[in-house]
Amino acid sequence: MSFGFPFAALIGQEELQLGLLLNAVNPAIGGILIRGEKGTAKSTAVRGFADLLPEIDVIKGCRFSCDPARDVDWCYECRQRKMYPESLCRPIRLINLPLNVSEDRVAGGIDFPRTIQHGKAILQPGLLASANRGILYVDEINLLDDNIVDIVLDATGTGWNTLEREGLSLSHPARITLIGTMNPEEGELRPQLLDRFGFCVEISSCEELDQRVELLRHHQSFELCPQSFRARFAAESQRLRQQIRQAREQLPLVRMPTHLQSFIGELCLSNQVAGHRADLVMEQAALALAALEGEAEVNVEQIRRVATMVLSHRQREALPPATPPPATNPSEQGRSEENNHPSEDERTEPAENQPSTAGDTTSNISGQEQDSKQTDNSDPILPQTPQEESQPDKGPSISEQVFAVGNPFKVKNISSTRDRKIRRGSGRRSRSRVSQKQGRYSRSGRRGVPGDVALDATLRAAAPFQQQRSGDLAIKLQPQDLRFKLREKRLGNLLLFIVDASGSMGARGRMAASKGAVMSLLLDAYQKRDKVAMITFRRDQAFVNLPITSSVELAGKLLNEMPVGGRTPLSAGLIKGYEQVRNYLIREPAGRPIIIILTDGKGNVSLGADKPINEMLKLAKNMSRSEQAKYVVVDTEDEGLVTFGLAARLATALGADYFKIKDLQAEELVRIAQERQ
Amino acid sequence: MKKQPIFPFAAIIGQEKMKLALILNVINPGLSGVLIRGEKGTGKSTAVRAMADIMPMIQVIEDCPFQLDPVNEYEAYQDICQNLGQTLPQSPESLAVTERKVKVVELPVGASEDRVVGSLDLESALKKGESRIEPGLLAQAHRGILYVDEVNLLDDHVVDVLLDSAAMGVNTIEREGISFTHPARFTLVGTMNPEEGELRPQLLDRFGLCVHVQGIDPIDERVAIMKQRIAFDEDAVGFVSRWVHESEQLVERIMAARDLYPKVKVSQSLLYEVAKSCLDVGVDGHRGDIVILKTAKTLAAYEGRCEVQATDVRLAAELALPHRVRRQPLMDIPDSIAELRRENSPEPHSVN
Repeated sequence: MSFGFPFAALIGQEELQLGLLLNAVNPAIGGILIRGEKGTAKSTAVRGFADLLPEIDVIKGCRFSCDPARDVDWCYECRQRKMYPESLCRPIRLINLPLNVSEDRVAGGIDFPRTIQHGKAILQPGLLASANRGILYVDEINLLDDNIVDIVLDATGTGWNTLEREGLSLSHPARITLIGTMNPEEGELRPQLLDRFGFCVEISSCEELDQRVELLRHHQSFELCPQSFRARFAAESQRLRQQIRQAREQLPLVRMPTHLQSFIGELCLSNQVAGHRADLVMEQAALALAALEGEAEVNVEQIRRVATMVLSHRQREALPPATPPPATNPSEQGRSEENNHPSEDERTEPAENQPSTAGDTTSNISGQEQDSKQTDNSDPILPQTPQEESQPDKGPSISEQVFAVGNPFKVKNISSTRDRKIRRGSGRRSRSRVSQKQGRYSRSGRRGVPGDVALDATLRAAAPFQQQRSGDLAIKLQPQDLRFKLREKRLGNLLLFIVDASGSMGARGRMAASKGAVMSLLLDAYQKRDKVAMITFRRDQAFVNLPITSSVELAGKLLNEMPVGGRTPLSAGLIKGYEQVRNYLIREPAGRPIIIILTDGKGNVSLGADKPINEMLKLAKNMSRSEQAKYVVVDTEDEGLVTFGLAARLATALGADYFKIKDLQAEELVRIAQERQ
Repeated sequence: MKKQPIFPFAAIIGQEKMKLALILNVINPGLSGVLIRGEKGTGKSTAVRAMADIMPMIQVIEDCPFQLDPVNEYEAYQDICQNLGQTLPQSPESLAVTERKVKVVELPVGASEDRVVGSLDLESALKKGESRIEPGLLAQAHRGILYVDEVNLLDDHVVDVLLDSAAMGVNTIEREGISFTHPARFTLVGTMNPEEGELRPQLLDRFGLCVHVQGIDPIDERVAIMKQRIAFDEDAVGFVSRWVHESEQLVERIMAARDLYPKVKVSQSLLYEVAKSCLDVGVDGHRGDIVILKTAKTLAAYEGRCEVQATDVRLAAELALPHRVRRQPLMDIPDSIAELRRENSPEPHSVN
């Protein structure tokens, strides 16, 4: 049926292959996350794996693939069946969840045509229903929309998918093995999701010349004639299929010796794993491996072989990190706080279709350990940060220094004020109406995205006229009845950092504190999927260190190496920033840039003939006329006996929110931006 | 409707590397596209649009919005008909087939996700009680070229969708109550101006080849370019007709290369050379190796040879590796792979 690359022909991906096979043998393992750079056969492996899946018995005609033998897990439809159900044997399904999926296709929604014809709400099951007792495969899972992730998480966590939307109220079984692939370059996965995967496998390309050539040869013959290439591996594929089938039968009989159970516990303990999921998964995995190898009892070796896959993404501290990861603390705090906050983020959004909060409670427990892992993962990249990169900036100057990044903290919520403009995009910072078929359905209206029809509202609009109209359908609709969904969603903003890197900032640890503040803001930007840009000014000009990008990691690295020294060309910095914002607004007229200026305000280089301070304030006044841009000034001036308060004057001229570094911390006050709305 | 004449591909002066990369992609759609990086006004868009001119003919099922092949994709066609509730064809022979040139489909930067993947016409679903699918640009671009001007400015959502289908060769629509799959294998051609920002690494890797174009320096060539452009603007039809012969020759050469490609052989030692060139410069994953191999074979076919030579591999590496080299953040894409290899490895390599 499929003409994909055969699973058995993969080269140098033994761990990945083992991980997938074990999941086929024992669904209790709970899926596998495949992390790896691009072009390492992540997707190829999963698609090839689909071919090997064993068969299971399902109830004939059941849309949720219920197991005839287990009536406790039956869906509501099977329970109502009068006769004993007929069963059917078919291979386990591998359901692909594409990135462009809409909420109703994941969780299930109203079946429009049938609802119209029959005049009552009829469910059209979503992908979670199709994937029950099967595998849900998400390619590039880290790019999946947050609201979709929430739905999937909730279902895989509880094993049930509960629908409360558009007049439907029901739940159905959704015991799903989740397989995801991701390229860490594109951003990390949310920690809650990370823990849901039983296994995590890191894969990379092989560095062995002979292997690479072997791989090329395979590829060449596959390209020339896929059929004959598959035929070459047919026997091996058949053997694997047979092995899986036998292992599945054997699985219930495999025993785990008691002393090995405590060995697993010790292993998890010594690896600093919080929670008990790791222990459970490891036990199941070891059982599956023993079954796969046709043995009746688990041995130590088998546990060792599965241990890495189970522990790698759950370890609190994998290794003593080479560079102290600055991100650990704030993100830990940030995570748990965000989750506890009832008004924070999307938490409220899925509530309408997910009354169960099981996802949240477990995620809080696991959130912390995962977050630290997340930073560990990015660690190997950090030491690579090139020295050359900052060299051109450093130039011949001798008075320049690079300061360490101070302790980051959880920052206050900075977001744009709500307006009536309609936008498109993704992210999690500022609320906006959106003109896309994503986000929370907040109300309905006569105008909206074509095709995004709000059925409930449409029916209500048509209801009064039913008596007068004629037609074949149960409900008679006319074009004027149509109502569309108006949706609301949080979107990312552009955060433009204008950072003072002049000599005056170097004094008494101020730069470290400033860097800490920027780092905190960057971490926040990362979590909220913002775009960032960074401009620094020192000596006699301003540099665009980082053009507008989504890569917050890059901004973080840059920040680490940012040298300080020289005079303070604040005006130049403002102008540079303004140019960036202007260009951005041309491209995205509905964009809402937030410009964050970190300075002590002591500008001493002017562009023209005017005095630096006057020039700066004049510029600021002009810049404040832009309605879309929001300004935040972070004052880095020390609090001493003599303060100039120049940054505060700059803030006033800009119409900006004004903070001292310590005021930026979220713990101190209720969120300011929220109050003002 | 009479179509606006297109500037003939054969008449483009200079930019040999870009032209070669485009031609190679026409010969072998398996190269999965080309990314053209360069400043404005270097003939990027002209060249891509002119590709329509040198495209080979393909067979398509008549009135099929998904551009399916009547022979190889008959099963997919059956599935789609079934899914749409249309009458199934009796046999492959009974299908009405038309022959047309491979299309260049342009994806505008502002395109919405629905327009790209396709969507359900819900209004008709409500009024008539039936579902109808509105195929998107990915359906149109199947077996053709999907051209994205300013690809680095593309909306994130759209990029994700492109990645998804470029990887799978299949477009899966799961939205608004429809669940629908159709083949979507396209050659992705993108142009970008690096000043406007870089491409996401994952998307970068999907482009088989990458070329960097610059303005042409020799004054004579610049004059020649101006003269040609003026001649075209004054009398487009006449200009095109003057180049018909050249265009036809190019098409013939492309067709010949297409036929020859499956027969091209690669020696064992050159396979090692391919793998080695990737290891030397340091690339992520194996897509680099595979693309070099395919490109080298296509080059040989284009030259009318049945055997890949060392020069083919070297040139292929220049085209296939620059954007795959592991870089430090913010570092530029290297200009020459040969130079990079010389820097990275102690033993000297010859430059082509």
